[in-house]
Amino acid sequence: MKKKMQTQAFANLIGALIFSAISVWALIQTTDFQEIKHSFVQPALFPQIMAIGMLVFSLVLMIQSIIKLVKLDENDPLSQPAASLNFVKHKGVLAALIVMALCIFFVATFESLGYVLVSILVSLVVMWLIGKRNIAQMLLVSVLVPLGMWLIFYKVLTVNIPMGPLTFLRDLIDMI
Amino acid sequence: MNWSLLFDSYGAVFGNVQVLLMTLLGATGGVLLGAIPGMTATMGVALLIPFSFGMDLIPSIGLLLGIYCGGMYGGSISAILIHAPGTPAAAATLLDGYPMCQKGQAGKALSVAMFSSFCGGMIGALVMTFLSPVIADMAMKFGPGEMFMLAVFGLSVIVAISGKSIAKGMISAFFGMLLCTVGLDPTNGVPRFITYKNTGLLEGFQFIPTLIGLFAVAEVIAGVERILNGEEKQESSNEKITNVLPDWKTIKQIWPNILSGGLIGTFIGAIPGAGGDIAVFVSYGFSKSASKHPELYGTGIPNGVAATESANNGCSGGAMIPLLSLGVPGDSVTAILLGAFIMKGIQPGPMMYITELPTVYKVFAALMLANLAMLLVGCLGVRIFAKIVSVEKKLLYPIILIISLLGAFSINKNVFDIGVCVVFGIVGWLLNKYEFPLSPILLALILGPMCEKNFVRFMNIQKGNFFAIFKSPIAMVFLTVAVVVVLFSIYNQNKINKREAAARAAK
Repeated sequence: MKKKMQTQAFANLIGALIFSAISVWALIQTTDFQEIKHSFVQPALFPQIMAIGMLVFSLVLMIQSIIKLVKLDENDPLSQPAASLNFVKHKGVLAALIVMALCIFFVATFESLGYVLVSILVSLVVMWLIGKRNIAQMLLVSVLVPLGMWLIFYKVLTVNIPMGPLTFLRDLIDMI
Repeated sequence: MNWSLLFDSYGAVFGNVQVLLMTLLGATGGVLLGAIPGMTATMGVALLIPFSFGMDLIPSIGLLLGIYCGGMYGGSISAILIHAPGTPAAAATLLDGYPMCQKGQAGKALSVAMFSSFCGGMIGALVMTFLSPVIADMAMKFGPGEMFMLAVFGLSVIVAISGKSIAKGMISAFFGMLLCTVGLDPTNGVPRFITYKNTGLLEGFQFIPTLIGLFAVAEVIAGVERILNGEEKQESSNEKITNVLPDWKTIKQIWPNILSGGLIGTFIGAIPGAGGDIAVFVSYGFSKSASKHPELYGTGIPNGVAATESANNGCSGGAMIPLLSLGVPGDSVTAILLGAFIMKGIQPGPMMYITELPTVYKVFAALMLANLAMLLVGCLGVRIFAKIVSVEKKLLYPIILIISLLGAFSINKNVFDIGVCVVFGIVGWLLNKYEFPLSPILLALILGPMCEKNFVRFMNIQKGNFFAIFKSPIAMVFLTVAVVVVLFSIYNQNKINKREAAARAAK
């Protein structure tokens, strides 16, 4: 049983269940959409069609997965072990989760710290995380790339990017 | 056709140093701009409009067309090298371009993309020169019903790009279509799945941050995971790029894809409201369905790159057709070009072919020149661009991450978009891990709004009678082709699955 639960077929079954749940949730939500009088197509119609379509194919995938799980054939790719999300056993998954957390940190501090500072921090941590240990190279890349990108966006593309405590750089560049 | 005037106009454009320089400058800027995820050709053209104020019409049009064509190719550079399409129109290029790069054929992929983009652009320019009044007339017959069926035809490609499991591909597609419905309803402005407090989502999920998240951010997360699991190999830079253009053998292999892609791109580009992002998927699906070896698509073959790149630049010529013949822009770039014409005192439209024929021919010539300039810039850059893959992955991934997140911000200068990008990065990583294909989501995000908007318009015009669509011959052609594509794709996929099962049993 435990072996079956680690297969790609079982992962598909879980995926199908999740998408079915999303479809059902979406269908329930559409019942609350405002109705427009004298309109031939209500705002809820298109989302309902999409949610029903997703539900139908989720059910198809569910049935396919159950059949595969019942008649488990070792030659079938679906009987192979599925990718794991266990971050205790797999340090790769843990690293991926840390990168996600860093991305969230990037979003949360983008306006207060500014693009350049937050990019330096995030890129340094990611480099360290994936085993880069050449400090000089790390510093050079993580400082020059965000600065260069900011400069291109600011001067060439005229896109104003939040700079946080480094806002003075704008005045400096404008003076030059 | 006035041949002597046509040749004189071409001579005037190709012999004018200012036009040559401006077009080359535009193509260089376009290629570089297009290569940055989030920066589109539209943005480049809009940015450079003020610089063209003081110029004559043809040099300024040359500059803007240079950016347009350059941007179309530029988008494929980042799609091939870092799995982050620089522009929406390059989104399908990564399906085969990135696997080619992973196989150590980055240079070949780039040269095929450049050559196909050039050929597609030339096909578009030639069709524009000789057939524009005919095509413009046909494009104007597209009402909401025809546009809806065009979207359905585009969506029929989903089965072809679903990979091993059609059910998973369809789930991804419906998920993408459902995502398109988040925000204000496009016809009545009714909020769906949000409240008025969720101001960031009033316009729904922005396409470019979603695209960058699903592909670039998800790839960085997966890449970091692979490095820690010891599965990531550093691509060697051993690939020798002896020729910047594809060799004769490759050209012989890809020319049918280039021809079909160029024509599909030109035709779809000529329809107002439809552009390169739709044409590339239609062309890719068509090429895959017509191929004797559909199973090789998606594994990194030049045919896939050629089909998409020729279609996206074919659109540049196509989009000019309704602009010049009818004064109706085919896409957002030609809408800006329309402004440039008006600024110079020229009103595009049917009368332009009578009162301003030399200008029309000069614009045709400028488009050809823009494609040549793009080829030149591409040739000079292939060796340099290809070196990006030999940058150490431990340095490359963080760089991709911070550039991608900045690209997501730059569209609307909105931090919320970076959040959307990150969320879709995580979703994309999860879906990829469990083999749910991402391309159908992308296609659904492109075609979903077009599909819904035109469906609602059609139903309101026809007072709820959907069956009126069967009276439109154009809509019926699209429906028939869509059904054929779906059936053929299912047949192809079953054939591939059986072949793979037989190979496994033999082992």
